[in-house]
Amino acid sequence: MDFKLTDEQIARRNEHFAVCKELEKQRPVGFAAGGLESIYDTDEGWQYHLHCAKEFAKRGWLSHHWPREYGGEDGSMMDQVFFSEARGYYGVPGADIFGYSMLAPTLLAAGNKCVKEKFLPGIASGDTMGCQLWSEPNAGSDLASLTSTAIRRGDEYVINGQKTWSTGAHRADWGFGVFKTDLSAPKHHNLSFLLLDMKTPGITVNPILYMDMGHLYNEVYFDDVHVPAENIVGEEGKGWQVTQTLSGFERSSLEFVMVLQQQLEALVKYCNETRVNGEPLAKNLLIRNRLAGIACDVEATRCLAYRVADLQDKNQFSIFDASAVKVFVSELGERMAFLAADILGPYAQVKSSKWAPLEGFGEKGYQQCFVLTIAMGTNEIQRNIISWYGLGLPRMK
Amino acid sequence: MNTSFTEEQEMLRKAAGDFLATECPKTKVRELEESDKGYDSGMWKKMADLGWMGLVIPEEYDGMGMTFQDLTIVLEEMGRNILPGPFFCTVVEGALPILDAGSERQKREFLPKIAKGDVIWTMALLEKSGLYNPSGVAARAVPRADSFVIHGTKLFVEMAQVADYLICAARTREGASPAEGITLFMLDAKAPGIHCGIMPTMGMDKLCEVQLDDVTVPGMNILGELDNGWPVIQRILERAAIAKCAESIGGIQACVDITAAYCKERVQYDRPIGAFQALQHMLADMWIAMQTSKYLVYEVAWMESENLPCAKEVAIAKAYVNDNYKEVSRKAVRLHGGIGTSRDHDIPLYYRRAKVADIAFGGSDFQREAVATKIGLIS
Repeated sequence: MDFKLTDEQIARRNEHFAVCKELEKQRPVGFAAGGLESIYDTDEGWQYHLHCAKEFAKRGWLSHHWPREYGGEDGSMMDQVFFSEARGYYGVPGADIFGYSMLAPTLLAAGNKCVKEKFLPGIASGDTMGCQLWSEPNAGSDLASLTSTAIRRGDEYVINGQKTWSTGAHRADWGFGVFKTDLSAPKHHNLSFLLLDMKTPGITVNPILYMDMGHLYNEVYFDDVHVPAENIVGEEGKGWQVTQTLSGFERSSLEFVMVLQQQLEALVKYCNETRVNGEPLAKNLLIRNRLAGIACDVEATRCLAYRVADLQDKNQFSIFDASAVKVFVSELGERMAFLAADILGPYAQVKSSKWAPLEGFGEKGYQQCFVLTIAMGTNEIQRNIISWYGLGLPRMK
Repeated sequence: MNTSFTEEQEMLRKAAGDFLATECPKTKVRELEESDKGYDSGMWKKMADLGWMGLVIPEEYDGMGMTFQDLTIVLEEMGRNILPGPFFCTVVEGALPILDAGSERQKREFLPKIAKGDVIWTMALLEKSGLYNPSGVAARAVPRADSFVIHGTKLFVEMAQVADYLICAARTREGASPAEGITLFMLDAKAPGIHCGIMPTMGMDKLCEVQLDDVTVPGMNILGELDNGWPVIQRILERAAIAKCAESIGGIQACVDITAAYCKERVQYDRPIGAFQALQHMLADMWIAMQTSKYLVYEVAWMESENLPCAKEVAIAKAYVNDNYKEVSRKAVRLHGGIGTSRDHDIPLYYRRAKVADIAFGGSDFQREAVATKIGLIS
């Protein structure tokens, strides 16, 4: 066992960090690193996201790990890791979570030639951005109980129903979702995975404002929306299996580990530079102890995330390994946000302005820290996965 | 990067695990806890025959010349199975410091005997203050002819009641700072003036009080330099902390395995209790704590093995694993219910050791203060 990087890997890691460091300098004021809200909420944030995507695309980084026949370079998992780390550390967007992180690997694993040729080029070039049409008002963790339908009519599907919690749907060019295509088949055998253009007539996107007034979530209504039948991923009625493939790709967490690393460093700097009662906060024993404790957690999650990346690289990866990192890193994110808000004292409540230290990280972190714990399978669902598949405990009927 | 162990390392792990499962069942562990000797000579001899005491000792001193990382694999198995006795103190607090700071003559004299399993070593560092820092060393060593005379009281000295040699820290000079003027001596444990008594501790692991009443030690038995022993001690503490963490992740693994198995077989309300989510989620958290602890320790053990600077990572790992071993074993007791509190059950063996491991070589707050400085907080 060794954690050593080769000279070539170190060079590639440095290259990713250098590019992201430059991009960080162009970050709009108040853009909250690591969260999704800043990407989708304002036009300024969205333009920054698109700009970063273009910068990555021209270096081939959005498709580096793809097979050559789809324009990739067969790059290794470790390059993806370095890319994630660099983006996380500098709080740089540009890698579309839905296209780059989730859909592309799913299409490469489970898509037919047609959808690959239709959707992969736009992801690689950073030109098209996606969204996920997943949850419904009465289908959250129990996704398979969804009721939106996509009925086959000739060479089209016609979609009706409602999706919700759709992050960035108001900005997205296209979306991917699961819909009921067979009204008589049993649960888990009645769904299909479809890709669709968000400009298709019959789609209505309404905002669901977050508690801090930010606009990242939406509800999406479908009223006789016609989608080409060739946009299906996998076979009709086997959409559930595709969702399982995809969920394995949405939990790689090194980007967020590095977001936390950066937040920790920012807090250390703040405590060194901020004097209270004539003493730097850094000398306060309680603050030292709490920051050190959270530094231990960051290091622990970093080591495990590397382990998971290494297992993915070797194709020995199990879903519960990723669940462990997801649970740990997201809850650590909540603890980090709470700690920062404690350290900032009364200024923790101030939004980005002259009175807000760390560009308003106090209030942003406190409000936005739920995004990762709830999204992508709640942590309670992840704990079920770990106990069933990691520990072999029985599932209650 | 390769986060898997080599085939040879996996073989070493399996051999160690198999040996301990056969030779050191929990009935034996409890028996040794209740004895004064605290270890089994027959088992000790067999371990020596397997080469374990000489695992990290170079071949030129009759050892096997394996790495520190290899040693941590064996220690993890010892923690998983629970092995009472003087292996840890002999190898980690005896052989490694001699290898590190000993003169060529001292290495030739002492290491082959350790490798053969002929001698037991331990370290006498802590005193009344219980602190793992230089100000904790108050025992005095006064020069007399070509010897030194040591006076003081050492506490929490592991297995001193059966040890042949003690590595003892004493103050040879008053320095400007507490770290100056400390010297390490290698004492013959049977020397006149040494009085040893077993402290009644929770781990029943034979931590001793050692009275040093004007004990004479030849000057040539100084380990390292006169007055400059603290850096050697720091190095010992660093490696001992990693080694203790390796034992602890083994203990955590055992708690998870034993508890998951119990929750699958124990039936209440007509179903295995492991089918209840309240219990599943506790177990999932134990599993996450195990995984994070393991890779933290594997990384720092690798760094130490490669001689990379790792003081920050050691403090992080020790603080993290301290807390998680206690937490996992506490949950293990809870999930077992009443039976998990009984003397005859295996889980409390781990629960008690979790606190003992936490204390050894620096508790969590001590480690976190070190981490605070290493992450750049001004002090």
